[in-house]
Amino acid sequence: MNGRDQSRRSWWLWQAPALVWVVLLILFGASLGSAYLPLGVGNLALNLLIAAIMIVVLVTFLMDLKEAAALLHVVAGAGLLWLLLMFALTFSDYLSRYY
Amino acid sequence: MSDASQALREPWPDLRLQRQGVGLGMWIFLASEILFFGALFCSYAVYRSFNDEAFRVAGEHTGIVYGSINTVLLLTSSLTMTVALRAATLEMRKPTLIFLALTAALGLAFLACKGLEYREDLKQHLFPGPDFPLSPAATQLFWGFYWIMTGIHAVHLSAGIAVVGGVFVLFKRRIVPVQGSTMEGAAIYWHFVDAVWLVLFPLLYLVGRS
Repeated sequence: MNGRDQSRRSWWLWQAPALVWVVLLILFGASLGSAYLPLGVGNLALNLLIAAIMIVVLVTFLMDLKEAAALLHVVAGAGLLWLLLMFALTFSDYLSRYY
Repeated sequence: MSDASQALREPWPDLRLQRQGVGLGMWIFLASEILFFGALFCSYAVYRSFNDEAFRVAGEHTGIVYGSINTVLLLTSSLTMTVALRAATLEMRKPTLIFLALTAALGLAFLACKGLEYREDLKQHLFPGPDFPLSPAATQLFWGFYWIMTGIHAVHLSAGIAVVGGVFVLFKRRIVPVQGSTMEGAAIYWHFVDAVWLVLFPLLYLVGRS
């Protein structure tokens, strides 16, 4: 194995995951820090947005969904679709009620 | 029989496709898990939309330090799990075993930290019931969600630790070769448990901090 192969191998093995881990820690710090800012309802929105970004980073780069077959994308997307449907149908009921 | 031929199972023509098959099976299972946790998140969202102030009051009392330490522990365990999986793919047996053991250790550290946190919570009687110290009454709803969500997550993590421990033993005793598809399913499940925590953390620990 030549030097370039060795370097590519160690990048894929641990350097790239370590970089993703650092990004996740920075996002976690941003989420934690922003929770103490007086943003009103913006706090929840920002915290959930950061959580969503963290999950996308985790799923894409650590779960390797980026490199997975299209069928896996469909299955993962199906779980998300049903989740969105559950939220949409539930809240279309609760938010349209008159008390 | 060589390790490589032992790793390949019927009906797969090669290891890459075999790993994809395991990944697909695990993702189908996870799609059902997404709905399982999704029902809890949806219930939380409904109750919070009607009791926002009570959830703020209740959320201030969760252990933010414990929650933060646990988030870092789980994120780090996802890193070690990824390295273990990639080392296994490259047929690097020793690093696979080391990083699998680290992953299980980080999972156990999470549970230990959670146990300390639960002890603090119980000392403060933060369990819905007659001695509950907070008001208004809807603060008990938040703490009901706290116990159910974190408890179910801990059960999932415990299952993950058991699976990682099992895989470690199979590799260590050379019952299963590391480059097979065994690691694939364990790794995907472990990351999922981490991802669930990333949603739980802002919902339970960052409420009412500003």
